[in-house]
Amino acid sequence: MKKFIKNNGTFIALIFLIIILSFLSSSFLSSRNLTNLVRQITINGIIAVGMTMVILLAGIDLSVGSIVGLAAVSVTLLMQAGFGMWLAILITLVGVGGVLGFFNGFMSSKFDIHPFIITLGVMTIARGLSLVLTQGVSVPVTNTTFADIGSGYIAKLPSLIVLLVALILGIIAVFKTSVEYKNGEKVRNKARLTGGIILSIAGFLAGVFIFIGYQGIPIPVAIFAVIVMAGVYTLRKTRFGRKLYAIGGNEKVAWLSGINILRSKTMVFVITGILSAASGILLASRLNGASPNLGDGFELDAIASVIIGGTSFMGGVGTITGTVIGAIIIGVINNGMSLLGINTFYQMIVKGFIIILAVMIDVLNRRESA
Amino acid sequence: MSEKILEMKNIIKDFPGVRALDKVNFTLEKGEILALVGENGAGKSTLMKVLSGVWPYPSYEGDIYLRDQLVRFANTREAEEAGIGIIHQELNLLPDLSVAENIYLDRQPLGKFGGIKWRELYQQAEKVLARLNMDINPRMQLGDLTVGKQQMVEIAKALSLNTKILVFDEPTSALTESEIKELFIVINELRASGVSIIYISHKMEEIEEIADSVVVLRDGATIGDKIKISEVTLDEIIARMVGRDINDLFPKQEFKRGAKTLEVKNITVPDPFNPDKNLVDDVSFTAYKGEILGISGLMGAGRTELVNAIFGVYGKKRTGEIFLNGNQLAINSPADAIESGIALVTEDRKELGLLLDKNLIMNMTLPSLKKFSSSFTIDKNAEKETSENYVKQLNIKTPSLDVFVEKLSGGNQQKVVIGKWLITNSDVLILDEPTRGIDVGAKVEVYRLMNQLVEEGVTVIMISSELPEIMGMSDRIIVMSEGEKTAELTRQEADQETIMKYATGNKGVE
Ligand SMILES: Nc1ncnc2c1ncn2[C@@H]1O[C@H](COP(=O)(O)OP(=O)(O)OP(=O)(O)O)[C@@H](O)[C@H]1O
Ligand SMILES: [Mg+2]
Repeated sequence: MKKFIKNNGTFIALIFLIIILSFLSSSFLSSRNLTNLVRQITINGIIAVGMTMVILLAGIDLSVGSIVGLAAVSVTLLMQAGFGMWLAILITLVGVGGVLGFFNGFMSSKFDIHPFIITLGVMTIARGLSLVLTQGVSVPVTNTTFADIGSGYIAKLPSLIVLLVALILGIIAVFKTSVEYKNGEKVRNKARLTGGIILSIAGFLAGVFIFIGYQGIPIPVAIFAVIVMAGVYTLRKTRFGRKLYAIGGNEKVAWLSGINILRSKTMVFVITGILSAASGILLASRLNGASPNLGDGFELDAIASVIIGGTSFMGGVGTITGTVIGAIIIGVINNGMSLLGINTFYQMIVKGFIIILAVMIDVLNRRESA
Repeated sequence: MSEKILEMKNIIKDFPGVRALDKVNFTLEKGEILALVGENGAGKSTLMKVLSGVWPYPSYEGDIYLRDQLVRFANTREAEEAGIGIIHQELNLLPDLSVAENIYLDRQPLGKFGGIKWRELYQQAEKVLARLNMDINPRMQLGDLTVGKQQMVEIAKALSLNTKILVFDEPTSALTESEIKELFIVINELRASGVSIIYISHKMEEIEEIADSVVVLRDGATIGDKIKISEVTLDEIIARMVGRDINDLFPKQEFKRGAKTLEVKNITVPDPFNPDKNLVDDVSFTAYKGEILGISGLMGAGRTELVNAIFGVYGKKRTGEIFLNGNQLAINSPADAIESGIALVTEDRKELGLLLDKNLIMNMTLPSLKKFSSSFTIDKNAEKETSENYVKQLNIKTPSLDVFVEKLSGGNQQKVVIGKWLITNSDVLILDEPTRGIDVGAKVEVYRLMNQLVEEGVTVIMISSELPEIMGMSDRIIVMSEGEKTAELTRQEADQETIMKYATGNKGVE
C-alpha cells in the first residue's frame, strides 16, 4: 500500500485536486469547462512530451516557448503570403521546429556545450526573429479553414466510437502488461489487472462525460492523444527509446556500448522542436492569428510538467505517462485558480511552490532507495 | 594468550528477495589478521557493512559485542568512534581535496571563528602518515596520487580515528605488485601495534601470505569454524568456499592455431597532456584463431589504452591500421568496432561497464539491441530469454532479472559485464582484467568460457595484471612497458622472471 502511494503519488494528488476543486467551484465539473481545460492542456502537453525526452538525457530545452511563437508567426505569415494551409504547416514544422531543434541538439552534443546555453541562445534568437518578421505587432490569419484545427471538434458519434476503441485497446493493453514472470512461470498480477480495468472504464466514462456531454472531442486533443501514444510507444518499445534511457543513465557506458550519442541527442532535440512548432501552429489556429510574444514562458510549464510527472533531472529515469499527469495537474491548477478568481500573479507563486515540492519528493525518494 | 575483541552473533540481514546473511557468527582477536573469504555474493561486504554501521541497527538482526559490550551503531560515525574502520571495495575519498583534508574530513582543527587551522591540520596529517612510513605530502591534491597511495591515505584516515579494528574489502584489486608489498608491510605493522584486521580478498596467495586465520562464508552462512591458516591448505579453503573440489585453477586447453584474425599495425595514441609522449607507442601485433593472446605489463604500461585504441575510444586521434580477417577496418568509435565484430570488456565496471541504476536485462542487451529488434521495436521476450540463459551460464547470483545491477555483489556485476559482451557474438573478444573481483570458482568458469570461445573460433585477447593468470591461460604473451611493446613470448618462453624483465622496460623486440 505504501509502495502503491509512492509509485502513484502524482496521480493520487491529481484526483484529490479534482475533488477539492469540484467542491470549491460549481462550474469546474461541467462538460464545457472540462473540454476547454483539456484543450488548454494539449498546448503545453505536446511540448512536454518532447521535453520529457530531453530531460531523460539530463538535458534541458529553454527554446520551446520561442519556437511556439516563431511557428505561430511563420504559419500565419506563410498563409498570408499565399501558401496553402498544409504546405504552410509542413514548412513551419520542418523549417522552424526541425531546423532549430537540430541546431540545439547538434551544437550541444557535437561541441559538448550544455544545452542550457545553446537553447538559451536559440530562445532569444527565435523570439527576435518573430519580432522582426511581424515588426512587433500581431498578425491575423487569412485562411478560413485554418481555425478549424485548433477550435474544431470531432462530431459526437465518431467521438464516441473513438472512445470505445480506446477503451478496448486500453483493456487489451492491461491484459498484456499484467503478466509477470516469477521463476520463469507466467503469472497474472491480479491487482494490476483489476486496477487497470477499473481505470480504463473510469477513463472511458470521464471521456464520455467531458466530450460527448459537450461538443465532441476537440481536434487538438485528438492530435495530443496520438502524440502521447507515439511517445509512450517510442520510450517503452523502441531501440531509440532504450538508447535514451541508457544515455541518461551513463553516457560513457552507453557510448562504449556502441550507441551514437550525437545522433540520439540531436534526434531528441529535433523531435522537441517539431512538437513545439506543432503546438505553436495549434495555438495560432485557436487564436486565429499570431503575436510575436506567443509562447513566452511556455518552457517553464513544460519543464514543470515533466518534473512533477516524476522524470529525474539527473536523467535516465522518467515516463511520458507521468508527464501527461504532470501537464494535467498544471492545467487543472491554472484552470481551478482562474475559476476561483485568483489573479494570475498568485497562480505563478503557487506553481513555483509545486515545482519545488515535486523535486523535493524526487530527491527524498532517491535518498530513501539509495 | 589471545584476547577476544569482537564477536558477531547470529547476524541476519535481508534484502528484498535475498537473505544476504543467515545467522553468521564469528570472533576476532586482538592483533589478529582474519581473512574473510567466499564466493561472489556470499555476503562478505554485507557483513562488514553491518559491522561498520553502513547498515544501522534495526536493519539487521543479531548482536555485535565489542570487548564483550553489546554495541548497536546507528551510523558509520558511531562505529568509527567505537574504533571500527573500513576500507571499502570502492575508495571513498574526494579527489579534489588535499590529502590532509581527506584524512580529517569533518574533523579539521578549527579556530575560534570556525576557520580551519591549516598548519595544525597539515602537521597532524603528517604525523599519521609518518606512522605508515609513507612519504606523501599532506598538501597534495588527492587525485594526483596513484591508487595505491590513495589507499594509504584511506588507511591513514582510519588510523587518525584511533581504529582498533580495520576492515579491508578487496584492497589489492587496483594495486601494483610493489604497492601490494607496501600494503602488506603496513598491515603487519598495524597488527604489531595491536590493531585487529579483517581482510577480504579473492586472491588466495595473498590470504596465505598475510592472514593468521580464515573464516569462509557461503550463501550468507559460515562454513565450519574459524581455522588457523597454518592448519589448512588453500585447496581445502577453496573447497569450503565453492562446495566442491577445484583441481585445476587454470584449466588451459590448447587448440591448433588457425588463421590470422585481428592484426594491428603501428597503433599510436598521443598523450593529450604531454606532446613528447605517447600513451601507446607504435604497437603492432597479430592474433590468431584458436589461441588466447595475453597482454601483460605493469599498471600504467598502456595496455588498457592499446585495447581502447583498437576499440575506437580515441577516435581519429589514434593512428595506425587495424585489419580483421585481412580486411582493413575504419574504426573511429566503439560503435564502429562493435559493428566490425570487436567487443571490449572494460576494466572499470562501475564507470564504464554498467548502467548501475538499470536492470540486468537492459545492461546485458545494450550493445546488441539490434539483435533483439525487428525494425524499431524491441522484442522484450527474446531479450529476457537471452539474459536468462546467460545468467544461468555465467552463474550470476541475482534475485531476479529486474533488480538494478548496483544491488549485485561486485563479482556478479563483473559477470554481467562479461555476459553483455558475450551476447554480441563478436569475432574478437578483448577482456581487460576480466577476473578482477571475482571468486576462485567463478574465475575457473571464466577460463572455461574462454576455452570454449576459442574452440568456437572467437579470437580472445586478455589483459591481466596477475602473472599466474596470464601465464596459465595465454598461448602467446605481449609484454608492454611505457606504451611500447617490449616483448612477445610464447607460452613456453614466458616465466615470471622473463615477463617482469620486459615489463620493467627491457626491450626484447627490435
Ligand atoms: N543494497 C543492496 N540491496 C539489495 N541486495 C543487496 C544489496 N547489497 C548486497 N545485496 C545482495 O546481498 C548478497 C551479498 O552481497 P555482498 O555484496 O555482501 O557479497 P560479497 O560476498 O561481498 O561478494 P563479492 O565478492 O562479489 O564482493 C548478494 O546477493 C547481493 O545481491
Ligand atoms: Mg564484496
